[in-house]
Amino acid sequence: MRWDFASVFDNTDALLVGAAGTLRIFAICLVLGLSLGLIVGLGRYSRNRWLHIPATIFVEFFRNTPVLVQILWFYFALPILLPFQISPLAAASLGISLNSAAFSAEIYRGGIQSIETGQWDGARALGMRWGQAMRRIILPQALKRMLPALTNRAIEIFKMSTLASAVAYVELLQQGKLIASLNYNPIEAYTAVAVIFFVFLWPLVQFSYFLERRLRRDE
Amino acid sequence: MAYQWDFSPVLANAPLLVEGLVNTLRITGTALAFGVALGLGLALLRLSPRRFLSWPAGFVIEVFRTTPPLVQLFWFFFALPILVGIEMTPFVAGAVTFSIQSASFFAEVFRAGIQSIERGQWDGARALGMRHDQAMRRIILPQAVKRMIPAFMERAIELMKTTTLIATISYADLLFAANEVSQKTFRPLETYTVVALIYFVVIFLASQVARLVELRLARSGESTVH
Repeated sequence: MRWDFASVFDNTDALLVGAAGTLRIFAICLVLGLSLGLIVGLGRYSRNRWLHIPATIFVEFFRNTPVLVQILWFYFALPILLPFQISPLAAASLGISLNSAAFSAEIYRGGIQSIETGQWDGARALGMRWGQAMRRIILPQALKRMLPALTNRAIEIFKMSTLASAVAYVELLQQGKLIASLNYNPIEAYTAVAVIFFVFLWPLVQFSYFLERRLRRDE
Repeated sequence: MAYQWDFSPVLANAPLLVEGLVNTLRITGTALAFGVALGLGLALLRLSPRRFLSWPAGFVIEVFRTTPPLVQLFWFFFALPILVGIEMTPFVAGAVTFSIQSASFFAEVFRAGIQSIERGQWDGARALGMRHDQAMRRIILPQAVKRMIPAFMERAIELMKTTTLIATISYADLLFAANEVSQKTFRPLETYTVVALIYFVVIFLASQVARLVELRLARSGESTVH
């Protein structure tokens, strides 16, 4: 068996299209997942039952089901209830974003709870309302503690983006499949895809290690 | 026009779904058994002071933690068989992928657990005349394992969710059965909803057990590592 990557390099265009697709869905899910997660996390933190219970159900449901099942549900099942079709990108983004929202909600909640009550008391003593105290005093401090966990979430989202290939969304793995089936070179094609993912993710992983070390040192 | 839900075609295919669930548990159990054993091996190698042992172990752990599991699965299913000239069934490909993938995560759990044991335990073991491996086996690991249990169960639950990927290479797990039943009955909404609920019930119960165990360990004064 001889390795021959020439057949992969000939298809650089296809891989670039795939990389663009991967980055697009990653960006969408990162923004949607982490911002929705903050809202759900605040709901989980709230003492108001009407916020707390729905947020808890959301978190428990999306944390305790596989994300691939969620994506397929949005792709095959949801359109039946809607008057329109759902694109592969929309279905995969919905599944990954909601799943990430549920996981990041717990990060936000944990981060907010880790801030000492004295900070709340101080903010209140200065005449701040709840929303002001949260925005100006609590969240900025909590974010620093949450940063390593949120970076890990981003890494997970990047890896999860490959699941979009299950609904034929054009991303890196999907393009790898295409190249492998056109050129009969699965070894080179899938090795190339694995290496590309490693190259994208390795710096991110090192960055998360750096953040973790810095946090441990600072606290 | 409101959609008329009808679960009876799905219920009529319950045996297929049950078989799928059994297969899901089979692949999870297989990958868990190999993953934990391999993970311990990788952790011990990585903690070794000898570089030619710790570096390869570190490399395997980093690669499998850093690349998407679906890419790994495709590699083991489509590429490896050609490379080594063997037949690969979807089950074997999944078992190999998920074993190594979860092992690299278990290795980090083991490592954190072993490193959380105070130096004094090592010193004490050495003072009693134990060699490194004796101290590790008799003194360090038994204490470390107890602290690792919560992180362990969390990883096991993650593993179960990851096994759904095996449906993409046509192993008849629960998700694959869902696909089949929905095509047979033309009822994707009901089928996928039922299957999502089955996953939820199984994984939620496992999570609750993990939470209970963690609470008990916390009460018995054992700190936990994640």
